[in-house]
Amino acid sequence: MKKRGKGVGIIFYGTGYGNGFPDISKAEAELQDDGKVAIYVGATEVGQGAKTVMTQIAAEALGLKVEDIIFINEDTMVTPDSGTAAASRQSYNTGNAIKKAAEALKALIVDKAVDKMKLNTNIGLKVENGNVFVKTFPSRKISFKEIAEDYKENPLKVEEEFIAQTTEMDEETGQGAPYWPYTFSACGVEIEVDTETGIVEVIDGVLAQDVGKALNPKLVEGQMEGGFAMGMGYGIFENLNLKKGKMKNNSFTNYIIPTALDMPDIKNVIVEDPESTAPYGAKGIGEPVMIPVAPAILNAIHDAIGVRITETPVTPDKILKALK
Amino acid sequence: MKEINLTVNGKKHRIKIDENMRLIDLLREKLNLLGTKEGCGEGECGACSIIMDGEVVTSCLVMAFQAESADIITIEGLEKEDGTLHPIQQAFLDEGATQCGFCTPGMILSAKALLDKNPRPTRVEIKEGISGNLCRCTGYNKIVDAIEKAAILLEKGGN
Ligand code: FES
Ligand code: FES
Repeated sequence: MKKRGKGVGIIFYGTGYGNGFPDISKAEAELQDDGKVAIYVGATEVGQGAKTVMTQIAAEALGLKVEDIIFINEDTMVTPDSGTAAASRQSYNTGNAIKKAAEALKALIVDKAVDKMKLNTNIGLKVENGNVFVKTFPSRKISFKEIAEDYKENPLKVEEEFIAQTTEMDEETGQGAPYWPYTFSACGVEIEVDTETGIVEVIDGVLAQDVGKALNPKLVEGQMEGGFAMGMGYGIFENLNLKKGKMKNNSFTNYIIPTALDMPDIKNVIVEDPESTAPYGAKGIGEPVMIPVAPAILNAIHDAIGVRITETPVTPDKILKALK
Repeated sequence: MKEINLTVNGKKHRIKIDENMRLIDLLREKLNLLGTKEGCGEGECGACSIIMDGEVVTSCLVMAFQAESADIITIEGLEKEDGTLHPIQQAFLDEGATQCGFCTPGMILSAKALLDKNPRPTRVEIKEGISGNLCRCTGYNKIVDAIEKAAILLEKGGN
């Protein structure tokens, strides 16, 4: 018999290294000969879209187009340390460092523009599309490229760092502020349990994720859908089967991950509530997107067959055993 | 040593191979076509998928000598001479169907083989068509979106 059930899972997650551990990202911004700006960060792109959103952050802060940002990362010979691509920390931490570096470079460019245009002050200047101009007299302007001409030998360059605020927890009381910021997410699923085979199928899903601000909604959705699939794998498929510290399920024959046929078309709900300490309000979501999925599925299994299973993955043998 | 003849991405080749060489190694090492990826090496992940005589095969499980006289398409064979992307590639970019990209060449070739046979597949047919290609990053939804979109682009007359 096929039995259907619905379930939800709700979580919060602290991003960053946390617990008072120094969480530092550095970034450099450098004006190029042609008026473009190079950003140097040690952040790693693993497909999550770091290069894209970090380029967007720099472009926004400098009033440039994304094409005018030369984004250099990963090469440890030329980039400063921006910490690991872990703990869902790159958009927030390195994003903040990039924003600070881009703003500092912009301020420096404006200072040079004041000198070069022989103005009295930097008040009332605007920076847009690679030009610095007097807001009330826009034809009085100078381009980044013209400014760069004076610094061919020794380009204008700044380095900034961002350090996330966390404190160590008190060992006795467990009190403290171990993480900042936190993200929140909720997942709802509908599943179908085949009581003869024990197979669980996830037939529908909705995932809501608080992102602070979606710098790039399409990439956020990609993270959410990927997280849903990973959470589903964690909930009903993936089992390392550790025996005496050795992985027994060490190939895709027995370590089963979801295929396209297992994954339902899910609905994404991006919740925006800008975080005041974040670059343009954006928080990291790489990990939180997967966390509520397995609990939602296990709750739905309970709803469907009336048995509460507390061990993942809920493979068919566990369902059959529970139904006995 | 053995010599075989085969066509890869429209170009004829005559290549010396070891008897125990796999097709994936011929493509990557002899022809330097590095777009074909090796994930598992045992026919489970689909990262090494290529099109051989119209069918998708996992090139890690095919011996190079079995490709004698075969007509092979790898991911490098999809874009036009002038660098214009194939509609499926363009749709993958537009829909955000790629994250780390490791599954992408195999996914796109599975999609091509599917669309060559079934130009307007349903979402379920698309999911079946790529069910031999594992993706750890995307959750597949955007890949299915991209293939749906590619079907429309191709119908309007791409390549
Ligand atoms: S590498 Fe060939 S199927 Fe995985
Ligand atoms: S995009 Fe990373 S495996 Fe598919």
